[in-house]
Amino acid sequence: MTTLIPMFVSLVIWLVLWLYMLRLDHRIKELEKNVQ
Amino acid sequence: MVWKIGLFVIFVWVILGTWMFEPPMFGVSSPEIYRIFYFHVPVALVTFIAYGFAMYQGLRYLNKRDLLYDKKSETAALLGTIFCALAAGSGSVFAKFTWGTFWNWDPRETSIVVLLLIYLAYFSLRSAVADPIKKANLASVYSILGFISAIFTIFIWPRITPGLHPGAPGDTASGAFIKMSGQTWLVFGPSLAAFLIMYIWMYMLSMKVHALREGKLR
Repeated sequence: MTTLIPMFVSLVIWLVLWLYMLRLDHRIKELEKNVQ
Repeated sequence: MVWKIGLFVIFVWVILGTWMFEPPMFGVSSPEIYRIFYFHVPVALVTFIAYGFAMYQGLRYLNKRDLLYDKKSETAALLGTIFCALAAGSGSVFAKFTWGTFWNWDPRETSIVVLLLIYLAYFSLRSAVADPIKKANLASVYSILGFISAIFTIFIWPRITPGLHPGAPGDTASGAFIKMSGQTWLVFGPSLAAFLIMYIWMYMLSMKVHALREGKLR
């Protein structure tokens, strides 16, 4: 139990960070398309 | 997209392994805190790789005299400094739960502060010079000196000066070079790979933003 809570918190942090990076990646790709 | 999903899966594996497996047993006290090893050491190694990459791009600039290489060098160093700050922060958490306080001025802690100051001086130097050619010349030479100092501060200084950090001379618990079990490698290896991929991803995005700002894609 003592390791389950930090594990869950770590997973949530990573999921949020990964989704943020994907969103950033997508927005930059869209900007690149507009430039071209 | 496949590699991005792969990165997600690797990090999920690292997180599960970090918290589900037995903690790495390098020390005699508070083994639970040694779980931070899977974050702290890969981040510190990526810092070193990033500063090495910054030097490589600095050398390419000095060879080709193309300002794009200077920008690559700056981006690599900036991301390296973010990873360096993360290594210092996670090391500080380890220090609190192992040695009682967040900061002990142990040789390893002092050396990472010195490394951070060296690279903060690199960015100060860049901001102090207006002429882009002069800035790139100075920064490229500095990136070489910075990486040489990184070798000294990360690998040499803390290994020749007695201190609290695992791997310091006189450390009987873990020895000069930490021996990892197979299970520890199963988490540490993917963790190092994942942080490295994360660094490359951040670097690629930064360079794309730079290209967009410059109005050209290279």
